[in-house]
Amino acid sequence: MSGEKKQYWKTLAEKEGGPEFLRAPAEELSVASPRQFRRRDFMKATGFTLGVAFATGCSRAPVQRALPLLSEPEEFVPGRSLFYSTTCAGCSAGCGVFAKVRDGRPIKLEGNPEHPLSRGGLCATGQASLLGLYDSQRLQHPLKEGKKVSWLEVDRAIQAELARVRNERGTVRVLSGTIPSPTFRAAIQEFLRGFADARHVVYDPLSKSALLDAHAQTHAMRVLPHFHFDKAEVIVSFDADFLGTWISPVEYTAAYRAGRDLGSRHVSYHVQFEPRMSVAGSKADQRFAVAPGEMGLLVTQLTRRVARKAGAWFDESEPESASVTPAFLDELADRLWQARGRTLIVCGTNDSQQQVLTNYLNHLLGNYGTSIDLERPSLQAEGSDHELERLFGELRDGSVQALLIAGANPVFDLPGGEELGDALKKVPLLVSSAERIDETSALAKYVLPEPHYLETWSDTEAISGMVSLRQPTVHPLGETRTLVETIAAWSGKPRSSYDLLRESWKAKIFPRQKKEADFETFWERALEDGFAEVEPGSARPQPFNVRAVIPVLHAQSLAANSFALVLYPTVAMLDGHNAYNPWLHELPDPVTKVTWDNCACVSPATAGRLGLADGDVVRLVTSDSKTLELPTYLQPGQNERVIAVALGYGSRLSARFAKIGPQWIDALLSVGDNGLVGVNAAPLLTLSLGALQYTASEVTVTRTGKQRELASTQTHDTLTVPKRLTPRGSGPRPLIQETSLAAYRKDPHSGVEDHEEKEDLWPTDHPYSGPRWGMVIDLNACTGCSSCVVACQVENNIPVVGRDEIRRNREMHWLRIDRYYSERESGQIEVAYEPLMCQQCENAPCETVCPVLATVHSEDGLNQQVYNRCIGTRYCANNCPYKGRRFNWFNYAHDDQFENLVLNPDVAVRSRGVMEKCTFCVQRIQEAKIEAKCRGERVADGAVGTACQQSCPARAIYFGDLNDPTSQVSKMMADPRRYRLLEELNVRPSVGYLTVVRNRPAEGDERSKEERHG
Amino acid sequence: MSKRLFIGVFDNEGSTLAAVRASRQHGFKVVDVYAPYAVHGVEEAMGLAPSRLPWFVFAVGLLGASLKVWFEFWTTAVDWPVNVGGKPFNSLPAFVPVTFEVMVLFAAVGAVLSFFVVCRLYPAKRAVLPVSGVTDNRFAVVLEQTDSTFEPAEVEKMFKDLHAVRVEEQITGETA
Amino acid sequence: MAEAAIALRPPLIDGDKTITEVTHDVCAPMEARPTALWWSALFVSSSLLLVGAIAIVYQISVGVGTWGLNRTVGWAFDITNFVFWIGIGHAGTLISAILFLFRQRWRTSVNRAAEAMTIFAVMCAGIFPVIHTGRPWFAYWMFPYPNTRGSLWVNFRSPLVWDFFAISTYLTVSAMFWFIGLLPDLATIRDRATAKWRRKLAGVLSLGWTGSYRAWQRYEVVYLMLAGLGTPLVISVHTIVSWDFATAVLPGWHATIFPPYFVASAIFSGMAMVLTLMIIARKLMHLEDYITIRHIERMSKLVITTSGIVGLAYATEFFTALYSGSSYEQFVFLNRALGPLFWGYWTMVGCNVFVPQLLWFRKVRTCVPAVFVISILVNVGMWFERFIIIVTSLSRDFIPANWFHYAPTRIEVATLVGTFGLFFTLFLLFCRFVPVIAVAEVKGVLKYGKPRMESAHE
Repeated sequence: MSGEKKQYWKTLAEKEGGPEFLRAPAEELSVASPRQFRRRDFMKATGFTLGVAFATGCSRAPVQRALPLLSEPEEFVPGRSLFYSTTCAGCSAGCGVFAKVRDGRPIKLEGNPEHPLSRGGLCATGQASLLGLYDSQRLQHPLKEGKKVSWLEVDRAIQAELARVRNERGTVRVLSGTIPSPTFRAAIQEFLRGFADARHVVYDPLSKSALLDAHAQTHAMRVLPHFHFDKAEVIVSFDADFLGTWISPVEYTAAYRAGRDLGSRHVSYHVQFEPRMSVAGSKADQRFAVAPGEMGLLVTQLTRRVARKAGAWFDESEPESASVTPAFLDELADRLWQARGRTLIVCGTNDSQQQVLTNYLNHLLGNYGTSIDLERPSLQAEGSDHELERLFGELRDGSVQALLIAGANPVFDLPGGEELGDALKKVPLLVSSAERIDETSALAKYVLPEPHYLETWSDTEAISGMVSLRQPTVHPLGETRTLVETIAAWSGKPRSSYDLLRESWKAKIFPRQKKEADFETFWERALEDGFAEVEPGSARPQPFNVRAVIPVLHAQSLAANSFALVLYPTVAMLDGHNAYNPWLHELPDPVTKVTWDNCACVSPATAGRLGLADGDVVRLVTSDSKTLELPTYLQPGQNERVIAVALGYGSRLSARFAKIGPQWIDALLSVGDNGLVGVNAAPLLTLSLGALQYTASEVTVTRTGKQRELASTQTHDTLTVPKRLTPRGSGPRPLIQETSLAAYRKDPHSGVEDHEEKEDLWPTDHPYSGPRWGMVIDLNACTGCSSCVVACQVENNIPVVGRDEIRRNREMHWLRIDRYYSERESGQIEVAYEPLMCQQCENAPCETVCPVLATVHSEDGLNQQVYNRCIGTRYCANNCPYKGRRFNWFNYAHDDQFENLVLNPDVAVRSRGVMEKCTFCVQRIQEAKIEAKCRGERVADGAVGTACQQSCPARAIYFGDLNDPTSQVSKMMADPRRYRLLEELNVRPSVGYLTVVRNRPAEGDERSKEERHG
Repeated sequence: MSKRLFIGVFDNEGSTLAAVRASRQHGFKVVDVYAPYAVHGVEEAMGLAPSRLPWFVFAVGLLGASLKVWFEFWTTAVDWPVNVGGKPFNSLPAFVPVTFEVMVLFAAVGAVLSFFVVCRLYPAKRAVLPVSGVTDNRFAVVLEQTDSTFEPAEVEKMFKDLHAVRVEEQITGETA
Repeated sequence: MAEAAIALRPPLIDGDKTITEVTHDVCAPMEARPTALWWSALFVSSSLLLVGAIAIVYQISVGVGTWGLNRTVGWAFDITNFVFWIGIGHAGTLISAILFLFRQRWRTSVNRAAEAMTIFAVMCAGIFPVIHTGRPWFAYWMFPYPNTRGSLWVNFRSPLVWDFFAISTYLTVSAMFWFIGLLPDLATIRDRATAKWRRKLAGVLSLGWTGSYRAWQRYEVVYLMLAGLGTPLVISVHTIVSWDFATAVLPGWHATIFPPYFVASAIFSGMAMVLTLMIIARKLMHLEDYITIRHIERMSKLVITTSGIVGLAYATEFFTALYSGSSYEQFVFLNRALGPLFWGYWTMVGCNVFVPQLLWFRKVRTCVPAVFVISILVNVGMWFERFIIIVTSLSRDFIPANWFHYAPTRIEVATLVGTFGLFFTLFLLFCRFVPVIAVAEVKGVLKYGKPRMESAHE
């Protein structure tokens, strides 16, 4: 390992130190053999967690050595953090992360900036996945018919039963979600080899099946292509929420942002057609709310136009006209054609016909090989709904003797969960490997506890040829075992996951690369980096098969008073496997801002017609008379014929949250009447035509007369100055300052309302000699994905307060994202996101009014809050124009001792009656300052990163020293797009914002000046 | 030595006032006058010197104010100066309100305490009344015999002329 | 001069009393057994007090979260009640001090009760700054005392610290003022008391007062001093209270008109409360001869004057907003009049500006029940004034994303009720054990025994 490398991998602060600093302590210690040292010290450090492990009934030997990023002994100085490079398993996207380990326990996940896909970002789900490790309700030991048993016993029993099945030549099935781990996949194949009739069925609860099938038809290879949004100048998305929940949002967000860099010559132009308001849609330059039934028609319309330009074949029959104006489609087609080869069309629907048409569009525009990569396809989703249908059939007629469900929860996230449940009961040998008892594992005869991904060795091949490693950051807290190990044990030669991983890498991954001759070096390097780039899989795409293309000529008609139902995943819940996670339930949805519930989103117009208001409980009845009762939520920008409902809620995992948050005479439960958080909408899915259908037509809506007030952190009626109350002649409040690309190109200042610096009443009283911390947030880059919100919550020990407190507008998130709507003449709804935290004002109004000096200013420009001095008059919060302060109304519980292990020891846990707020992650600043002081230097630019900044996939947040003219944040402060919030108050905030720039060449200088509303 | 006191008891302020004036004209020494309420004009009639209390109160108030200004300056600008809202360490204008309050407090407390001290008023002090009812409906003018020319009968007559309810004569060891 | 005026004007006290009668009229009811009416009144008020006590104990043990506050509206009922009670507390000192300086001798028959009311009201007010904090057990940190936290002092720039000093000074000075006024009467009680305990108690408290003129002379001076100090004090206190809001950046709080506006409001509500109590007291203690219809009329006139000032302030606020050209400022006032709390706003305007206009008519001023009702309505209006100022400004300020409504919880309501319980309990006890009327002062203003021709040429 080269010194340079070493230097990189230290904690961010030490990273600045340079080799000599790192070497110094190393020399002092007489190291016998580094290996020995690593091992013993690692065990020392894990002693603490060992204790916990024993406490939780664990009695296993320590793990094999895990390789810290840099392994000098001084790393184990207590209170100094270690960063292990590993791979997130929050979803199948496989983003690279560093696990921040303090005294042997992981306390934070940070994006790995070197990771080629995620590029340092991490999504909300990823950030929150850390809490899963300390979930006290995680399975700690194997279960047989619900009773605790030893691994030995389980293994014996299952081996016996499997032997019987093998002899009877019975059918064996493995059902799992997409498994991005090559080792794991291989293990399963290994396991199935022994049986006569064995098959591995893969499905994705958020199915991409049609997309894969489409490529099977058009390119004769069933793969998920790898999309490069940074290479696209024109992006057209048909209902693909690629910035929120679709396939690999973090990677796409990073690429998308790169493609929209205002510095570059080409700023991508993004058109979105979708039935509901998605995260991606909210960022689009042109957005059309289209009924799902019309999507296919639209694709056809666009394809025809492009085909005509390309002079390529296309079905001649005339499709009916779509709701989108032909003029716009023509214009779009022109732009696409002009930029051919530098465009990207994505389709998020699970309809293979539409997907095929999309492929054809991309093919005609020559996107394959440029913005779409089939050579190195994505392996993030490979589920096949056909296979699923077949398996269902087999299960129904009870022909399956043994079913091993690996980590999946079909009873919850698939339609007809009930019947499936009954069918599963018929399976003689039902084994489920899961982290928790969910709807499915509850039915299994044997439940094998899976470890949390931070406890094990594993790997992930998200993109063919891009294999990232997962290494344990902590001794397993429970008696858990990966399925890979289990299968090895069943096969008779039990080995540790570490050995198994190395074996499979030696055998499969190592040969796929040329760089390293020796496996050990290759392995070490991969461990340090967290990933290795190797040759992709062998499969090669065939030339485009035009015969597969069948146009959609008609929009699905919809009966007069019925609606189209759209079932969608949310950023927080996705398919619902995170329903155990309080952080994600408390996270306001980027668009609706609703927490602790899913709801029936309807457009305001429709609500008006049906006489619905927020919180009115409605009953949805599908054509096949399945029903769902949900509170209404009025969602601007949604198609008027659409009812949108979030998936992933109503999971049995959320039953635990009934009494979360303070309990007092007027407190309400955080769960609904069903005792769960939200309602499970999966039963309304349909598995037909070889694909999971996320939309249903002919849905009727009836009011139940019941009420359920939604816990929303922003209710749209408060997002505006009501017309009645708007003073004459006053426009919208200049909170979001925006401009169009055309205008920006003319004058970079355009859109900034107030340029000149206000003068200070006491200019010379408090000079900032040292650093002066400041932040700039690029509103144009921000997608509202909310990963910063969770990152902040994890970093700063922010309590979860529960549904009732949020309903009372008492959420504790230090960082919130204000979401503003505005309406254009065209009726299109525009969205702008504005992350807002304490603005660290230089002349802070909060400080002046505190009677006890509990909030004062530091000499490096921070607005400090002294928790133990605060008596809680709340005067400061009242006097804060930004309302950036949060008050501990109760003793917000940190009852779960096990869960408390996640707390950041650098940040005090606040008690009742105390005010708190964003501190610019002062603990990180201090750490960096101390490191710098040890070297007698100034804190270098980039040495300090706040949690929100680090986690942001869009790199929208800049932080650093404003007194250092060379720092990036100073440059951004000087950017012509920069404005400050409520500048006229002259409280002199240290946070700047960069204007939103909409790419609307067609409309030139048009700016939506209408009153903002929701 | 013992004293000889003549007490004219009246039942209204008019006669009392007249009696005091008359006594002074006759050259009698008016030891004291007792009344259930503050009768206007008596002090002139008795020829009491005006009280010096106001000056004392003024001084005390001034003391309080200056102490407070110094304290506020010392705590915020000297002892532990902190940057509060970017304001100067010595934010004199902000000190004014408290200073004023403390001044008033000092002055008021000073006034009351000094009053108690000067009039020798203290809790559970035994009250010695010249005649009963002076806290209810009686007025008493107390004269002292100063020299031999002092003629009791004359005194008696003078009081009677002014409709005294009665006239008492007391021989006491101490002055009332 | 005054005597002359008395000679011509209708008397201040009816029934041409002798000083003997005065003493008797005031002290007799105290010495008699309490009436059933008094007992029932005490029962009601003390049970209200109990309710409030329970509410406060619960709130302190569980958390301020038991109130309807949220991250947008950090103050509501608590500070509203605080300002409301402080306002009421202003009438006492006003009557004793300001009217004394203006030689308004009619004050003598009401000032005792008014001062008592002041003290009780300030006590009620004092509860809220303490219990509204998140950690009431640390509320004493507001006081600058040498401590072990690196001699950490308080922030003298904070209006809350100003408040702390203002309120405590005001309470002390009013109490002293009250006691000094009480001194001669305590002596009177002592000397006529038949009950042993009463004589003892009065004996201790009256500090051996004899009515010696040497004492009377200084007494007058001290009283004048206190009046002189009390007058600026009473004005400063509510000015400082108003600064709690005026020094903030919030539109609707940040207004230079607040000090005069608040002081006028305070006098307004205080006067109304005095009226309410006087009308109750004269019934309860049969003091119709002392608290005459003319007293009620005079106070009604004060009420309508201050009502005028308050009304003017309301109008001015709107004008300033319009004139400022700040859309935030303008919005706040539109929002008060037409926003979600419009009903509160119009209750306030109705009760404080329109209803008092009735007092222009002599018929109304002299009709006791009418005045009683109006006086109560005025205080309802005044409570809403503070509520509207605090809540509307907070709930909808600069950034619409922060906007949120406020609704009180039962705990809060109970706490408010409790303070009324405390107030009336104390007042009823006061009626029993302390002369409701300043005997010595009333005797001073009787026509009885005033030599005719002297008064003529004086």
